Parts: sequence; structure tokens; C-alpha cells
Amino acid sequence: MQANKEADFTLDLRGESCPYPVIYTLDALEGMNKGELLQVITDCPGSFRNVPEEAIAHGYTFAQDPIKNGQEFLFYIYA
Amino acid sequence: MKTFVQLIFQRYWNPYVVLLIAGILSALYFGLTSTVWAVTGEFTRLGGDLLKLFGVDISGWEYYDMVHLKGTTWSRPDGWIVWGMFIGALMMVLLSNNFKIRLPQQKRRYIQGLVGGVIAGFGARLALGCNLAAFFTGVPQFSFHSWIFIVATGVGTFFGAKLTKMRWWKGKPTLTRGAAKPTKVKKHVIQPYVGVAIAIVYLGLMIYFFATGQKLLGLGALFGLAFGILIERGQICFTSAFRDLFLVGRSVMAKAIIVGMAISSVLTVIIISVYDLTPITQIAALSTFVGGVLFGLGIVMASGCETGMMYRLMEGQVLFLPVFAGNIIGATFLAYAWDHLGVYDVLVKSGTKINILDSFGPVGAILATLAMLGVLYALTIYREKSYHRQLAMKRGVNQHAS
Repeated sequence: MQANKEADFTLDLRGESCPYPVIYTLDALEGMNKGELLQVITDCPGSFRNVPEEAIAHGYTFAQDPIKNGQEFLFYIYA
Repeated sequence: MKTFVQLIFQRYWNPYVVLLIAGILSALYFGLTSTVWAVTGEFTRLGGDLLKLFGVDISGWEYYDMVHLKGTTWSRPDGWIVWGMFIGALMMVLLSNNFKIRLPQQKRRYIQGLVGGVIAGFGARLALGCNLAAFFTGVPQFSFHSWIFIVATGVGTFFGAKLTKMRWWKGKPTLTRGAAKPTKVKKHVIQPYVGVAIAIVYLGLMIYFFATGQKLLGLGALFGLAFGILIERGQICFTSAFRDLFLVGRSVMAKAIIVGMAISSVLTVIIISVYDLTPITQIAALSTFVGGVLFGLGIVMASGCETGMMYRLMEGQVLFLPVFAGNIIGATFLAYAWDHLGVYDVLVKSGTKINILDSFGPVGAILATLAMLGVLYALTIYREKSYHRQLAMKRGVNQHAS
């Protein structure tokens, strides 16, 4: 359950529907310094797929595999 | 067994596979019933039912004659397509233990959803079909109005995507320092049992329809269920197919939809030829274009179209309650405006029903359709590539500057 490294920032998107999780995640990553770690908590089912895929497509890397936590997902992404 | 369950319920299905199956099923449904997979026509009828319930006399409204407002939603095959979709989606959500009341943090979403829902409902019915009858199941019917509708929806979603990017529209998320705790997961899992119970009751209902000779209702219920299962498991979203291309250069949904329509078109032309059926053709007119643009804009504002809204509501995304209400209000208002506000005279009257099957014959029609879909596919890839090229250039410039 624990992230390998403590996240620098957290984006709590619980309740938000698509496309806002993707937009918010990409906006947040763009505003952070390279190498900082972002934790994303999201429960929009569409975002379980489009957030990780688009983060990778936009050149960001994952610190670890996505974690399924009940009805939500946790992502750890390096800016 | 465990891995099979995981494969079906613990992850979403590949959208290409899902839309391929949906394409085949919708062609089959047409072959069996001579009607197509559609939802917004029934939304309009639901609006009519509600008006009657409140004592409004709608007997003179032309639009309701056109869409055959008869009986109740429970006695209409189109009604069972809609309820079957809701129930199929709900069953899948419960079986995968994924139901949760999801309340948007940004309160503005409720208003955006309602307004977008009204615009999308109005636009869809003005064009005589939504992303199904004027799109996914319209193209395989060779009804030219769906060609116009696709272009118009593209235009509408383009402006919708522009709106979505605006600061006052999207709102500011809560970015906090450090890590935060996720929600504590409940130990007792009950959702799948509820899902199984619903499945058993629904199966009984379908058996009842077929056993009592109500074949069309049974088929509506069966295919509706299948479509609901498919759109939820594939997270099929026509809104995102266009919007995400403009927003983040994401192309997977658009490509999967195009592939699904291609398969469905080939199958449908065979079915029409073999069984000598008449394809369903709608009027192509100025209203098709105007309706398509409004629909495209509305679905992006609402974050979902009339189809995507259904499974999202079943997932517990509360945002889609005002969207559903908006869809029905918009569709019903169009039914009123059709003859009372002169919509028909201004936008529809000058149009004609054009079916490219009649114009070009079966071989010509399928070749023309596949060529059109090929162009759409190429445009999709072009847009994805150009987005990422621009992104790379922007990043390069930024790095030079710093």
C-alpha cells in the first residue's frame, strides 16, 4: 500500500468526472519541477485508463504500478 | 476460474473488441427487428409521457406522431433498449464491485451538466438521432444524414473542447503538499451479490417476454442488456472520441468507433441484400448540421452523451443525474419547438431523405462508406500526430529558454 517514496504533491480528484482528471493531472505535472513525485487519487472509472495512458504519452514516468484501492485508483507519477 | 473472473470484471475490456461486438450486434438487431439501436427517440417519448402525466395535451404535436408515442415505456421495444442498457451497465458495475456515490468537488459541474444535457438532447432530436441513430447505427444504414451529423458533431466538440480548457470552466483542483491517505476499503463485499440478484430477476423478465410471445420486447430487453454490458465494460464514450483528440491528442476511442462502424456497415449491407430489408433513412437537412453542432457542444459541456451518461449514472456519478434530466428536457423542448416554434419550417422542410444505398447500389454504397470511414481514420491519426509534434516543439522551446 505504501509508496516507495513520499509524494511531493497530492491531487485528490475523487468525485470528478472525465475529462477533468486527465486535464488536472497533466496541468499539475506541467507546473511541478522535474523529478518531483505526484500522487493522484481518482475514482472516475474512465480515468483508470486515460490518466496513466496520457501521462505516459505526455512523457512522464510512473514511480510504481497503479494501485487499485476499492472503487478508486492511486497513481504515482514523476513530473 | 479466478483468472476468468478477473479478466471479465477486474479490468475494462479492449474498446476495439467491444465496439466490434457492438457493431455486429446492432446489425443483427436490425436484421431481427428492422429497427436500430437508438436511445434519444425514447428519451423524447419519456418526455411526452411526463407531459401527459402532468395533464399537458400533446395530441396535436407533430413530433410525437412522427416518433410514434404509444403505450408506455414498458410496452415499447425502444423503451426496453434504454432500460436494458441501464440494467446491463448497473449489473456490470455491481459485479465488479465498482459502485460508489461520486460527488463532483466542483459544484459548477452540476450546472454545466444540466445546460450541456439540454443542448445535447435538443440537438440530437433536431438531427433525428444521437451518436447512435445518426452515427454508430446511422452510418451502417447508409443514411446520408449521419455523414452530415458526424462532421457537425466534430465541429461542435471542437468548440466544446476549447470551452473545457478555459479556467473559469474547468475550475482549479486541490493540489496539496505531501501524500494523502486514500479511502479505507470496506472488508465486506456485497455489491456482486446484488448484481447477481438483479441478473436473475432480469433473466426471468426476458424469459417471460419470450414465453408470452412478446418477441420484440424480449429482443429489446436482450439487446439493450448486451449494449449496456458492452458500453460499461469498454467504457465506450463517444464524447471523448472527439473531445480527447482536441484536448490531449488521444485517439483510441475514435479509432475503435470507426472500426466498429466499418464492420457493422459490411454486415448490414449483407443483411439488407439477403433479406431484402429497407434501410432506415432520416431527413438530411440544415437541421442535421445545426443539430449535430449543438449535440457536439452539449456532450462536451455535460461530459457525456446520451449513451455514456447511462453507465456513468449507474457507476454512481451523481453529475449525470442533471445530465439525464437535461437530455429529456432538451428532447422534449425540441418536440414542442418542432411545429410550435417553426423549427420544422425553417430547418427541416427543405431537406430530403437521402440513402446512398439507393443512390449507388450495395457495392457502391459500402465502398463509399468505407472510404469515408478511411478518411475519418486518417484524420484521427493526423490529429494525434500533430498534437504530439506540437507538444514536443513546445517542450523543446521551453528547455532552450531555461
